[in-house]
This record gives sequence, C-alpha cells and structure tokens, in this order.
Amino acid sequence: MAAVATTSKSKSQSTWALAWRRFRRHKAAMFSLGVVIALVLMAIFAPWIAPYSPTAQPTGDNLADYYFQGPSWEHWLGTDELGRDVLSRIIYGARISLLVGFVAAIAAALLGTTLGVIAGYFSGRPLRFYMGPLAKVAGGWKPWPFALWRVASWLLLYTLLFLAADLAWTLSGANVQALFSGTFTLNNLLSLLGLALVWGVILLIGIWGLFGQGRLDLDVVISRFMDFMLTIPELPLLLVLSALLRDNQGVVGQWAQAVFGESASVFIIITIIVLFGWIGTGRLIRGAVLSLREQDFTTAAQALGAGEARIMFRHLVPNTLAPLIVNATLAIGGAILTEAALSFLGFGIQPPVATWGNMLTKAQEYIFTAPWLALAPGFMIFLTVLAFNYLGDGLRDALDPRSRL
Amino acid sequence: MIPLLFAASVVIFTLLALQPGDPLDELRQQNPRITAEQLEQLRRAYGLDQPIYVRYFKWLGRALQGDFGQSRTYATPAAQIIFVERLPRTLILSGAALTLALLVAIPVGIFSAVRQYSRADYIITFFSFVGFSMPIFFLGILLLFLFAVWIPERVPWFPKFPVQSISDFQWSQVLSGEITFFQFIGDWAFKLVLPVLALSTIQMASWTRYMRASLLEVLNQDYVRTARAKGLSERVVLYKHALRNALIPIVTLVGLAIPGVFGGAVITETIFSYPGMGRAILDSLTDKDYNVAMAALAFLALLTAVFNLLADLMYAVVDPRIRYS
Repeated sequence: MAAVATTSKSKSQSTWALAWRRFRRHKAAMFSLGVVIALVLMAIFAPWIAPYSPTAQPTGDNLADYYFQGPSWEHWLGTDELGRDVLSRIIYGARISLLVGFVAAIAAALLGTTLGVIAGYFSGRPLRFYMGPLAKVAGGWKPWPFALWRVASWLLLYTLLFLAADLAWTLSGANVQALFSGTFTLNNLLSLLGLALVWGVILLIGIWGLFGQGRLDLDVVISRFMDFMLTIPELPLLLVLSALLRDNQGVVGQWAQAVFGESASVFIIITIIVLFGWIGTGRLIRGAVLSLREQDFTTAAQALGAGEARIMFRHLVPNTLAPLIVNATLAIGGAILTEAALSFLGFGIQPPVATWGNMLTKAQEYIFTAPWLALAPGFMIFLTVLAFNYLGDGLRDALDPRSRL
Repeated sequence: MIPLLFAASVVIFTLLALQPGDPLDELRQQNPRITAEQLEQLRRAYGLDQPIYVRYFKWLGRALQGDFGQSRTYATPAAQIIFVERLPRTLILSGAALTLALLVAIPVGIFSAVRQYSRADYIITFFSFVGFSMPIFFLGILLLFLFAVWIPERVPWFPKFPVQSISDFQWSQVLSGEITFFQFIGDWAFKLVLPVLALSTIQMASWTRYMRASLLEVLNQDYVRTARAKGLSERVVLYKHALRNALIPIVTLVGLAIPGVFGGAVITETIFSYPGMGRAILDSLTDKDYNVAMAALAFLALLTAVFNLLADLMYAVVDPRIRYS
C-alpha cells in the first residue's frame, strides 16, 4: 500500500516538474513571472518603499507651488492636483489592484468550480427534494441523509397544506356565518366557491404528496442561471450594483463600513466582480466534468463505493485543474482591468484610497497641464494585465499543451 | 427567450428601484422651501409611493406599448433620447470600430496562422497580446494626449484632433443647404477618428487571436492533410477547405459581439465626450434618471437575447452539419 502511495506521489511530482520545464521555455511568461513577483513585493512592502504617504498633502504657505509638479528628484513621477506624490500613490495602488485581482479571481474560481462541478456531475440526474411516503423508491442516488430529509420534507409539505387550509377557513368565516344568519349574498357565494376551489387544490396536492416525487435538476437551474447572467449587459449592471452596494445608508454598505472601515469599497468591488466572474469558470468546469464523469476512472471510483462529494472533489476537480489554473490566472488580469474601469468611471474604489483606476479619472481632466499624471497609472495597469496574460499563456502551454488559443 | 427576458427586466428594474437616494432628493436640494406635502404629492405623481412590483407591472405595460416614461433630466420621453438621439450615434461609433477591427483582424489572423512560428507571427502575436491587455481608458487618454495635444503643439501642419468627439453639424443643416454634404461627412469622420481608432485597436487584438487560433485548429485536421495529399493547390486548401470551417466560430462570436455595438462603449464615450448609449446609461445612473437607464438596459437585454438566438441560427447556416429540426 505504501509503495503505491509513493509511486503515485512521485508521479504527480514529475507531472509538475515537467510542466515547470515547459513553462521555463516560454520566455515572455518567465519574464512576466518576474514582473508579477516584483509587483507583489512592491505591494507587500509599500510602506517601506514609498517615499511619501499616498494621502499626505503639503502644508504651509504657497500651496499652489506644490500642485502639479513635474517629475523631479524629490518626486520621481511628479505630484498631483492636491500635491500628493504620484510615485507613492502608484506603489500603494499596487496593493489595491493586486488584492482585488487575486481575491476576486480565486473566489470566482472557487465558486465557479463548485457550481460547475455540481451542474456537470448531476446533469441529467435530478435531485429528489421530495418523495411521498408511498412513492416507489427507484434505484440510484440514495445517500443516508436522504431518508431523514424524506421524512422531514413530508412533514413540511403537510404542515404547509394544513396551514393553507386553516387560513382559507378563517378568511371565509364571515361568509359561513352569513349562510346561517340568512343574509347570504352573491358575494358570499363567490367567496365560498373560492374556498371550495382552494380546498380542492389542497386536497389534490395532499393526494399527490402521498405518491408523488418532487425533482430539481440542478444542472438546469445552474445552466439557466448562467445563460440568464449572460443576457444582462455586464458593465452597466456592474455600475448599478456598485452604486447600490456602496450606499452608506444601505444594509450592505453599513455592514461593510463597520467591518472593513475605509476599504469597504474594496470589499464591495471584489464582491461584484466575483458575482459576474464565476460564470466563465462555471461553464468551463461544467463542460469538462460532463466528459470526465463518463470516463472509466469515475466508474471505478463509483464501484469502489466512493461518495458523491468524494468523486466530485477528489476525482473530477483535480482533473480540471490545468484549465482552471490557466483560467484563474487570466481572470486576475481581467479583475484588475474591471476594477480599474469601475474606479475610472467613479463607480469603484473611492478616493482618498489610491488606486490606479481612480488616479486616471482625475488625470484625464488635467491632460493638457499635467500629462504625466495619466501616464504612470495607465502604464501600470497595462503592464500588470499584460504580465498576467502572458503568465496565463505560459501556464496554458505548460499545463495544458493540447489546447491552444 | 421570453421568460429569460422577463427575468432580466425584473432584475434590472428591481436593482434600479433599490438604488440609493430618492429621485426627489435633488428637488429637495434645489428648493429647500419645498414642503413635506408637496414632496408627498410629487411622490404620488411619480408613482413612487407604490410597491416595487406594482411599479414594475405598470412599467412593463407601458413599455410594451413603446412608452418608457419621461426623462427627468431632459424632460423628454426616455425612448426618444435612447432610440432617436443616442442609438444612431453609438451605431456609427461602435459599428465603425467593429467593422475596422474585423477588416484588419481577419486577414492578419489568417496570415499569422498560415505563417505560424515565423517572425511575422511572433510580432503579430505580441501586438495582439499588447492590445488585449491595454485598458481602453489608458489607450484613449494616450491617443488624446498624442493627437490632440502633444503632436499638434510640435508639428505645425499636423491636424489638431478635437477633445470633444461629437460634431456640431446636424443633418438638418445639410437639408437646409447651410453646409454641404461633404462638409457634414468630413467633420463627423474627422472627429470620430480617435474614438474609432481606440475602440477598434482593442477589439482588433482579440479578433486576431480568435481568427489565428480558429484557423490553426482547422489546419491541423485530417481533412486538410487529405486535401493537400490530393494535390490541391495551397490556395484551394486554405480558402476552400480550411477557411470556411475556421470562420464558423468567428461568425458566432461576431453575432455575440453585436449587442455590445448597440450598448456602446461606456468608457470610450466617456473619454471622448461622445454622447452615445454608453454615456446615456452612465449619466442616467449618476443623475438618478432611471427611466432612461431602464429603457437602455431593457433594450440591450432584448438585443443580447435576440443575437444569441441569431448566432445559433447563423451557426446552422454556415455549418451544414448542424440541423435544427
């Protein structure tokens, strides 16, 4: 047994070693890896690297002298419209961009993988969420909690039916009284007919509930939801959601303010990027799982008695890892771009927190007087996104040599 | 498709109705002496006192008849702003950008795939990566800086491109003979150069990548080898056998990109001060002019759904292996 474990381990190591060897051949990707590492270090050590505080404004007389300084030895990239040092803001902005990029991409990958695996694995196998006590139990999926849920759902259904019947009876009380007190009108008659109809429906559901089964095809639900999300225009919806969630009076806004303080809008931007970002991963994983679950190793795992969750997350997900990693790497670049675009439009992370996106908003106004304000943040966004795209390309060649795009 | 659209419109409407701040806030600020009763009256006049679902069904009933309500900012019907004023402008800008992007990207992509691993291919791939990673707001500002500020300041004969990309000329001026047709077209074209250039450069990059990848995949297939083995000329193999199949995914992608053309480019329109659909959406959100936002977003959702369907149908036209029974 131990020998088997060792061989499988050394084999998996050699897969990664092989991938690393392939990755090293991709020069642009290796260079990008260096750029990404440098950016991450810059973000982590920002307080030590940055020559000034990103929000420090000059004090004293002749304030105007400090505004819009061109690049100089004191301020390598000049100062902005409030006299703040642009280089320091760029260095601190890297923190926000990378944080948003990594957290949003990882969260979207996790969410997309989970939902994609569930959709793919249970495709064509509806989840039985209700089964009447007299319903014939067919073969197939019968995990142990299902027996418990079967009893609970049965009790729940009949309780709901009882409450509905009771409510209908209470509502028609006056009409029944009218029947006996001799003041019966057409209105009372109609109400009583309505009561009879409601009770008829309740009775029918009650009879169905004995023999019937309720099914829910998780694949249909998840896939339809993904289709639905693709119908809505993305950027406008991001703007709408951002305005809604950043609201200081709103529930989410207040909660985020209490938990995250000044960086509440960072958290909210990550959330809404994830809200849209998981769909691509979800579709990718669903497609992969649809074909993987038909393969022999899945059948073998089932034959060995592995549980559904074990098959999904121990057998299927690791096999989708290569495209997943590539996808997530490209998603980091995408998330950074989305954050910058939202912040640029004023719907993202709010000043005074410095991000590359919101630095550009102001910079555009001063394009005639202080063009260097626009060049630095724009170039940083471009460089970061380019690095992540090349990294993703290199990873694709290394991990997933068959697919090429 | 109808349930999907219904759900989309419900979600969009709800999100807009939940937006922070009352549309009446602005009124309150402009006129501090306004009384609570007057506000209440206005609220009732706008229908804001009713629950969201009642407002939604009222909106839906009117929208199905083509009435999207009044715009508060412009005091004109929202439908007129969106469909009459903004949509044509956006179609000119985004349509020109997409056309230019495809006209360049498809031949370049084909060239790059045919000469795979050549020096030209590496250069093209590099530039498509650059374009792919370039944020449109940076490219836009860069173009503005170069062609509206930096070069015209230094090169006297160089035309100074405008910062505001919208032409002042109206079509009615042409009809009344104030300006000639060519002046009208020339002015519009001149002012649209920068935004079209910015937008199409970004799109060109991804279309080149798609075209290259799609053609490469086809070129590696057995039937292409068979065609070559039969002794067909490279021209026939490429254009008759490979390219036709390689264009299938491109056609679908173009179909899916067209709703984006209508939606306009929010960012490009913002940078170049071009009042199109994208700006209409952005401004209506900032000004809390939700009738306009709702009209625009509902229209875009409809277009997306329709073009998804059309892309599927087009797929069947270009690929005879797919048949819808």
